[in-house]
Amino acid sequence: MRFILLVTVTVVLFSCTTGKKPDEQAFLKSLDSTKTDGPGVDEEVINAILEQIPSPLEISVLLKESGSKYNRNMLNSSNNLPKYNSNFKKALNLGIYGTDLGYTNIYGQNQDGIKYISSIKSLADELNIGQFFDVETIGRLATNSKNLDSLLLITTMNFNQINHYLQSQSRDNLSVLLLTGGWLEAMQITCQTAVKNPANKELQEKIGEQKIILEQILLLFSFYKDDANMASLSADLEQLKSAFDKININYTYKESTMEIVDGVAIIKDNSSTTIDITPQNVEEIKTITDSIRTKIIS
Amino acid sequence: MKKLVFLLLLISSVAVSSNELTEQNCNADNLANDCIPKLATGFNFLKSYKVNGDAKDKVEYSYVFTKGTQYMINVCANGTATDGIVVNLFDKERNKVASSKINGQFVSAIAYPCNATGIYYIQYTFDEPSSHCGGSALGFKR
Repeated sequence: MRFILLVTVTVVLFSCTTGKKPDEQAFLKSLDSTKTDGPGVDEEVINAILEQIPSPLEISVLLKESGSKYNRNMLNSSNNLPKYNSNFKKALNLGIYGTDLGYTNIYGQNQDGIKYISSIKSLADELNIGQFFDVETIGRLATNSKNLDSLLLITTMNFNQINHYLQSQSRDNLSVLLLTGGWLEAMQITCQTAVKNPANKELQEKIGEQKIILEQILLLFSFYKDDANMASLSADLEQLKSAFDKININYTYKESTMEIVDGVAIIKDNSSTTIDITPQNVEEIKTITDSIRTKIIS
Repeated sequence: MKKLVFLLLLISSVAVSSNELTEQNCNADNLANDCIPKLATGFNFLKSYKVNGDAKDKVEYSYVFTKGTQYMINVCANGTATDGIVVNLFDKERNKVASSKINGQFVSAIAYPCNATGIYYIQYTFDEPSSHCGGSALGFKR
């Protein structure tokens, strides 16, 4: 009888204090013990960093709005596909082609877009994540520039699903490579455009702001120091960081004001940032970015 | 003694089933997806967030906001409009820069024209009574 009482009390206490069943606790504990085989960090930590990095499509929208013309020569040719034989290169170039697809979509260049969809599907299949790419849907959305919102939706959702899948398979380094490839391509396109339009201060500042993103990417790479390919790319990105270190981002906080209009809180942001970046800084960042990208796409 | 055991077993089963019920009832994924089409016209979807605050007093995400871009964050919940869910936005120094609760009034969305690039923390808290279950979407426009 005492035993039954003890078990009952234990169950009640367990239910009240943790909100999880004993089996679930044991399962979670067992998951923790297997994490030593991975990069040694919690999935939530990696996810939190991955998810805070903006979509490269945000930059592409800015480029279009800045009045810069579409230039397919800035993109990675889909003909380069056969060169990518390792998973390392496949993942990076999948990210690159993803950004290129978004760029063609924003400029309504459907014929170019279709080539990228095909390359993306091939790389995804080879990385065993082809099941997350519904070519028909992506093709329909990507070839209609009015569907940017839907394309963003589907690519973001895909990326989240791919992350969870890759993490469940202890291949989360590939998520980092996908993201890094996409970011580098957006950087390369923005730098080329900025160099051609030296009077466009907004583009220069957009490049300067990428210092914050690069810091987050390098944080992700720090979890994979034992992987030779990741370590090598990390060293290249550190070189890029040295160029970014010359740029100052100064933040001034001022309390914001708010008002409610039609059921929405409209905020007036009174804080500001100033970004000290020169055309020479842009040139240096462009040179290093080009060099890293050339290694990846070759 | 038998009565005591029976009482404890009863409490135990109620406690366990209530936990299961909470987990089953909160379909934060669906609520997050429901929020996406509710972004105001002109905003492009960026992210959707699950707000499953079961046994938590807050749920937090982060995102890099950029100067010159306007962001919208909305909140969706079962039942009453926001079901006590408040979305607060903090800058990198943890200064509160926006909230969906203004002077005691709850709204379902905030529009934030960002003037300072950096990491921002999107934090969801719960004003009781709340079922601590909802979804949210983040959109942007230039």
